[in-house]
Amino acid sequence: MPGFIAKNKKTFSLLFLFTLLFWLVTVQVKAGRLTFMEKPVLAVSGFFERFITGAYHAVGSVGRSYAFLVQTHRENERLKREVDQLKLENFITNELLIENGRLRDLLGFKKLQPLNSVTAQVIGRESSPSSRTVTIDKGAEDGIDKDMAVITAAGVVGKVHVVLPGTAKVILLTDPGSTLAVRVQRNREEGLLEGKLARCALKYVSYYADIQEGDLLVTSGLDGIYPKGLPVAGVIKVTKHEASAFQTVVAEPAAGFSRLEEVLVLRK
Amino acid sequence: MKPRVYLMILLLIIPAQASLFSPLSLFGIKPDLSLALIYIIGLLTGPTEGALAGMGLGLVQDVSSAGLIGLDGFTRGLFGLCAGALGGRVLNIASPSNIIFLTVFCLAEGIAISLYIQIFYGNVPFISMLFNLMIPQALYTGLLGTLMLRVIKDKNITAMLLRRSLQKE
Repeated sequence: MPGFIAKNKKTFSLLFLFTLLFWLVTVQVKAGRLTFMEKPVLAVSGFFERFITGAYHAVGSVGRSYAFLVQTHRENERLKREVDQLKLENFITNELLIENGRLRDLLGFKKLQPLNSVTAQVIGRESSPSSRTVTIDKGAEDGIDKDMAVITAAGVVGKVHVVLPGTAKVILLTDPGSTLAVRVQRNREEGLLEGKLARCALKYVSYYADIQEGDLLVTSGLDGIYPKGLPVAGVIKVTKHEASAFQTVVAEPAAGFSRLEEVLVLRK
Repeated sequence: MKPRVYLMILLLIIPAQASLFSPLSLFGIKPDLSLALIYIIGLLTGPTEGALAGMGLGLVQDVSSAGLIGLDGFTRGLFGLCAGALGGRVLNIASPSNIIFLTVFCLAEGIAISLYIQIFYGNVPFISMLFNLMIPQALYTGLLGTLMLRVIKDKNITAMLLRRSLQKE
């Protein structure tokens, strides 16, 4: 027996390593993800990501600068017209805000708090086959902390997962470990949105709940991470199974993750 | 391969995939550089080294992402092992057939991971993921890996492989 093992040492070593990895995964399924190496790895990869992204942008910007110059004049004219239009719209919006404030006071509602945010640039997109994260160029030095909400103008992106002084890792909505309390904007029906790599799925939605394709899901604010009312995802498919008490709802995140460049991190 | 080459690959794979490969994204689909590299390493060095490289690169990806540590290490280790086993039979590394093998391996890994998510988390939109994510990414990765192998062929690595197989015999 020992002779057989010694003869097949390589095979047994590999078998041992595979068993060890499988055991490691099963342990984490029960006890939660191990986090002991996250910060050192983010420190090393964050450094290289900053360097590579910086170099890439520097090279790219030289070529783009010339093309931009040509377009600048045309764009300037268009923007001037847009500014005039926006001035008018802004005036109307201000009037509506004042009116809204008066009506809120009248109804006794709390005023919306302005969001305290930090703008960050996405410097890396990790695409492990089993996870979805991005790296941003702001960290603890800029007041970023774990579990802070990350958004864009289009909607919720995710939340801060690991923080280092100058960088942070953001876990996207589509990551299987991501959960978010949401509401259907149309009828205030509640549910829990989970990441499914390419898209998201709404969990624990009653079979009888009225959810339709095209419905917009917004944050409910119940999880204590995301402010209430931010757009999260659009429902793209609803399936009802007779045997289940719940319906299957698939949703597409409102913020396009493939085109993420700048994000807002909401400070608590 | 020399340990320092492996160390360099381990250090640079995540930043390269994260920042340098982002512009290669087509409709949100990016080629998987790490998978293509494991396939090449397995093909050139054999099952043991392929499996170890797969485990190492997978573990680095696990730690740098938010997934369970060991999951990518496990699947990519198996991937390296299969690529290594295939390497014993495919000596023409620049053959276009590599695009088929690499695509199939990549697709198999995607299916394995979505099955895992279905088992532990449930509600995976499998069909939509298969057509919108897994197949396009597998094809893209297959194409990238085959192009990388064509570049490697110019460095006479096929001759080195032949010598190695003769030495083994």
